[in-house]
Amino acid sequence: METPPGKERFLRLVEDNKGIIIKVCHSYCRDKGDREDLAQEIIYQLWKSMHRFNGQYKFSTWMYRVALNTAISFYRKEKRGAAVVPFTGVDMDIADTSGDGREADSHLRLLQQFISRMKDLDRALILLYLEEKTYAEIAEIIGISETNVATRLSRIKDKLKSDFSNISKKAYGRH
Amino acid sequence: MEDIELKNIWKEYDRRLEEARVLNLQSWALNMQCFETLQRQKMKSKLGRLALVKIIMIVLGLIWVLFVGFLIVHSLEWSKIFFVLSATAIFAITLYAVIVYIRHLVLIHEINNSESIVDTQLTLARLQSSTIHIARILFLQAPFYTTFYYTPAWIASGDKGFWLVTLPVSLLFAVASLWLYRNISWKNAHKKWFKVLFNSPEWNYVVQSVGFIKEIEDFKQNI
Repeated sequence: METPPGKERFLRLVEDNKGIIIKVCHSYCRDKGDREDLAQEIIYQLWKSMHRFNGQYKFSTWMYRVALNTAISFYRKEKRGAAVVPFTGVDMDIADTSGDGREADSHLRLLQQFISRMKDLDRALILLYLEEKTYAEIAEIIGISETNVATRLSRIKDKLKSDFSNISKKAYGRH
Repeated sequence: MEDIELKNIWKEYDRRLEEARVLNLQSWALNMQCFETLQRQKMKSKLGRLALVKIIMIVLGLIWVLFVGFLIVHSLEWSKIFFVLSATAIFAITLYAVIVYIRHLVLIHEINNSESIVDTQLTLARLQSSTIHIARILFLQAPFYTTFYYTPAWIASGDKGFWLVTLPVSLLFAVASLWLYRNISWKNAHKKWFKVLFNSPEWNYVVQSVGFIKEIEDFKQNI
């Protein structure tokens, strides 16, 4: 069983898994300022809960639990009911890529936009699925059965595919 | 579109994260040498704020309970029987609310973000929505604020003002508070009278928390 890490190890673990914080923040907050607040809150909650990490789960699984719990609570308090605003390049807070990635970039933004319209718990589900967590891991993080994970993910994926399909039809319609 | 395509689109995210050497969002935290700074963030935490509200309510409630208790002890005589009875009812109801708030405070400190999303969010939403329960209880005090100045002599005198105005007003308050006790519930949160009565951002949040409980319960079902 692993012992709770000290400050330096904690920083290293957070650094190694920083993608989790960024993706969770982007999935639950549209405004850059809110995202920074949420990132601070997640790191604080991770540090505060560190003594509870006992190696029963992988660090990333534990981190997803804390990050998603913090994000859902934060999002519900701050932003529930706000209009959905599409992500922009500036909002990504990530360096611009070359022109080659433009199509992939546009798909990614669309995907983020579709995810941002989902209910809080569905959003957590699809985020974990896209992060290639197994159904067993997702069930453990979310706290529902594997069968329930499979059923719900199937519906969410169908919805996402349909959203992409509708966008494509509209794009072709314009030409 | 296949499932794998969705995952490939998402992988673009990782590629961009790799390309971005500076990650603005949390770089401040990663560079921090001293986590004491984070301790100062504690009251910024949403749960910290919720706890602060509860602490304020507990302190105010205790001050009120002590004050009312003091008045009761110094009014124990027959001529002030209605004052004593009314104040005792107010004392008991307020004390109950204080005890519930203390219990909430304990629950807030026990909330564990490392637990599963469904369990943690359900506990949190139940905690937030419990304000509705306290409001119902506190409304039961209302009629006693209209009876504390009754006296046996006043009732015995047959004063028309008492029988035609004071008593009907007290009865009206009693009926209204009982009606509110029975009807203040998340099931009525959509009704106009509820929205008029509890029209504040904090209350809207409480009502949303109740809706979220329903959402979580549905989510847990494999339907």
